Amino acid sequence: MSEAHYHEDHGAVAGAPLIELVDVRAAYGTIEVLHGINLSVPQGSVVALLGPNGAGKSTILKVVSGLLQPTSGEVRLAGRVVNGASADELARIGLCTIPEGRGVFPNLTVRENLWMATMSGVSLADVEEIAYARFPRLGERRKQLAGTLSGGEQQMLSMARALSVNPSVLLLDELSMGLAPLVVANLYEVVAQVSQEGVSILVSEQFARTVLGIAQYAAIVLHGNISRVGTPAELEDELSAAYLGS
Amino acid sequence: MQTFLQYTILGLALGGAYFIAASGLVVTYTTSGIFNFAQGAIAMLAVFTYWQFRWGWGWPAPLALLMVLGILAPLLGAVLYQVVMKNLRGTSEVTKIIVSIGVMLGLQALATWVWSPTSSTPRQFQKFLGPKAFAHFGSLTVPWHIIISFIIAIAIAFGIRFLFVRTRSGVAMRAVVDDPELLQLNGGRPERLAMISWAGGSFLAALAGILIQPMIGSAMSAGALTLLVIDAFAAAMFGRLRSLPRTFMGALIIGLTTTYVVAYFPSKWTWSSSFRNSLPMIFLFIILLVLPQDRLRGATVLRLRERFRMPSIRTAWIAGLTMMIVVFCLKVIMAKTGVNTLTLALTFAIIALSLVLLTGFAGEINLAALSFGAIAVMVVYHFGVSGTGTAARTTLWGILLAAVVTALVGALIALPALRLRGLYLALATMAFGVFVSRMVLTERTEREIFGLKFTLFTAGQLAIPRPKIGPIDFNGQDAFLFLCAGLFVAIGIGMVYLRHSGYGRRLTAMKDSPAASATLGMSVVRLKLSIFMMSAAIAGIGGVMMAAQIGTVNADRFDIFLSLALMMITVVGGIGYVSGALFAGIFLIAFIEALNLLLKKFALDYSTLEAIFMFFVSAVTVLPATIGITMGKNPSGAVSDIAEGMNLVKQSKPLMITVLGLEAAIWALTATEVITNWNFVILTLANLILVPLVGGKFLMARAMRGVPKPVPPELIGIDRPFTDEDLAAMDHALNLESIVIPSSTTVREEPANASA
Repeated sequence: MSEAHYHEDHGAVAGAPLIELVDVRAAYGTIEVLHGINLSVPQGSVVALLGPNGAGKSTILKVVSGLLQPTSGEVRLAGRVVNGASADELARIGLCTIPEGRGVFPNLTVRENLWMATMSGVSLADVEEIAYARFPRLGERRKQLAGTLSGGEQQMLSMARALSVNPSVLLLDELSMGLAPLVVANLYEVVAQVSQEGVSILVSEQFARTVLGIAQYAAIVLHGNISRVGTPAELEDELSAAYLGS
Repeated sequence: MQTFLQYTILGLALGGAYFIAASGLVVTYTTSGIFNFAQGAIAMLAVFTYWQFRWGWGWPAPLALLMVLGILAPLLGAVLYQVVMKNLRGTSEVTKIIVSIGVMLGLQALATWVWSPTSSTPRQFQKFLGPKAFAHFGSLTVPWHIIISFIIAIAIAFGIRFLFVRTRSGVAMRAVVDDPELLQLNGGRPERLAMISWAGGSFLAALAGILIQPMIGSAMSAGALTLLVIDAFAAAMFGRLRSLPRTFMGALIIGLTTTYVVAYFPSKWTWSSSFRNSLPMIFLFIILLVLPQDRLRGATVLRLRERFRMPSIRTAWIAGLTMMIVVFCLKVIMAKTGVNTLTLALTFAIIALSLVLLTGFAGEINLAALSFGAIAVMVVYHFGVSGTGTAARTTLWGILLAAVVTALVGALIALPALRLRGLYLALATMAFGVFVSRMVLTERTEREIFGLKFTLFTAGQLAIPRPKIGPIDFNGQDAFLFLCAGLFVAIGIGMVYLRHSGYGRRLTAMKDSPAASATLGMSVVRLKLSIFMMSAAIAGIGGVMMAAQIGTVNADRFDIFLSLALMMITVVGGIGYVSGALFAGIFLIAFIEALNLLLKKFALDYSTLEAIFMFFVSAVTVLPATIGITMGKNPSGAVSDIAEGMNLVKQSKPLMITVLGLEAAIWALTATEVITNWNFVILTLANLILVPLVGGKFLMARAMRGVPKPVPPELIGIDRPFTDEDLAAMDHALNLESIVIPSSTTVREEPANASA
């Protein structure tokens, strides 16, 4: 699918894109893993990145979050080119990333973990209030080391950050990894809630069905390229092919 | 009672100072994951600088303190982090240890350079508020300095605890250790936090140094001061490099016991002062003994930047043969002193081989190779010499016995630490090294145990004769040179064989992932133990050869700093290669010596420029450390770089013939004394470096048109991306040709791009 075609299709429909990747290439060492990604996340929408293991979904998120600098192409945030900005700079201007695995500091207590979220400018009291209200279990364990929490609780803790720092963009990487279906459903409720507050969300997920319930658009990533973009309904048929076909 | 109180207070103050140094270690370790071996050297440098300001230039104490503690020490820490330590992310524990050891040796060399130890006036360091400031508590008089030290230690303890628990920056510093990337995603700046913590750690080291020095009361010495704060390592270990309260407790225990030993051990026990000095090291050892088993962590397989490729057995034989020929050719043209130096260099290379075996093959660390050499030398001295006077010879059985004993001692040292991570074994060996230096090599008095009378280190020096093996007498210098060269080649080739055996593959597997090895049913501890014993035995044999070359050795020959320098240079040379060991021996002994001689010769020849050349002579002392510090940039070692250049020569016959021909001509000219030996060295270097460089340019141009250098299959994906041919070849090997990717999938629209 050509770049122009894609923009006609979706870029124009939903107004100004908040995140925009233009012909982004990225590499680990000498090995290129993204071969020219074009993608835009319209303001206030949820875009899901789907695709099998090793397709490049996490790398796309790493590039957007500033952890990996693209070798060429442009990353735009609200129209401004942010190539070269570091992850912490982006975090402080309102980009919230929940990385793959559990996004917690295992040797810090629950409360100290929430304290780290305040670096983007919110107060600890607010963060704690929001977090404990949404996840009462965290409140009970505020003095416990995060490393001793269960997998679901750890993911709640990292999601609590997304809830409380008022981000304008939320990046979620493999939220469901290694979690029970019930916990996943619970977490995606939170994502939906955040989305309703007008936050633009880019989420990568191997288990497409869960995320398609809340996503407005989805992009299928294969071999470092975006092979198809569309609404969940449009992509329904493609999905099985994408996972099983190669 | 009076004595008890007096010494208790002294012990508490000493413990307080140890705690300050140890807390600095904990702070830097928790934020950057680097155990700072240079902590003691920073303290030492601060003491010398403070002395310079306060007594050298007569500044008032507050100004000097502000300058050293407030500005210079934090600055040094910050610069160290920015310039050196920052580059160490993603490197192995060995590289991290080596680089901070490099900093330590560098600072030490710098201090000896600036503050010459042979200065006529001893540098004295006074207590705060002067030597006569005492506080009186009833009948008890305590120097104010002691009181101040203890109060500062307590204040620091509470301060650090407050920082780490009650401030966001402090909590963020702890978060950096857990996951720097996640902290960044939270909006934190891990690099800045780590830099601040290094500045803080350096400040604490400096403070500890300035507090401790007057308590010892002796004249300042760079080596002793550096080691003094190494004593704080034990306290830091007590808190497992994490817990500050436990570190505090450990520091107090060490401070108190050492002072009680001074107070209550009967004065007729001649060893009590050595015992007091080695007590912290004994503590460190005991603590390592009782630390719980380290968890096997399978999830933390890092992609390290170090990579070593093992030569084939055939290459090893060719290299060995070449080396023997080169040694012979060099012997022909060299002066007698040159042959001496070359032999000594080779003995050090043998010791370095033990490090290659242990660290390069198995990933474990021994920081006291020469101390094992010392053990072997003592065994040979007592049990392995036959004949007397000039007829005395070291027997083959003596050498073998020494190897066995060192292997057993090695097992004893390594056993407790093998359950733990590499860093702990490194510290255990270092504790052993310092223990040997302070306790064993200082033994001059005759002892009697079970009716057996002996003196460990007679008169402070041991005479070790050259060996005689069977009918062959290696007393002559040339014969001994060939023995050492042959020994190096034999052990080296043996190691290559070992590396290619099943045992060697198990070692590599263990080095890459202890967890995976354990789950495959390997006994990791037995493997580690066997390799450590083998390595210790090689170090012992090398030590005996070194002693036999020198003739009479004193304790300085087995100094822990020399062990550290050897380890460092071996890593620089390439710890994964036998040639790395050769590089270490040649560089540390012959190259530095030659450079020194050359510079001094220049200084004599061109007397107007004497000052400049003498400056460079001093600069040479800092050189090895400087090279060690650059390891962070190229962790695979220098030899691999040189070997890359040599590969060009190997691939091109004309180039090889040119280089060899030129070298033969240079050698012939030297042998017939047309040109001097110095010119030989210079021309040889030029030939080996410049010709491949120029030829390489030419070859490169040709190579650009031809095929690229082949990459071994296991490195495809690392050295270069997979190509469609690679994938096809792999499919073929796996019999996957029958599986056809359905061409109907519309999702794969840019197949050519996808795998490019």
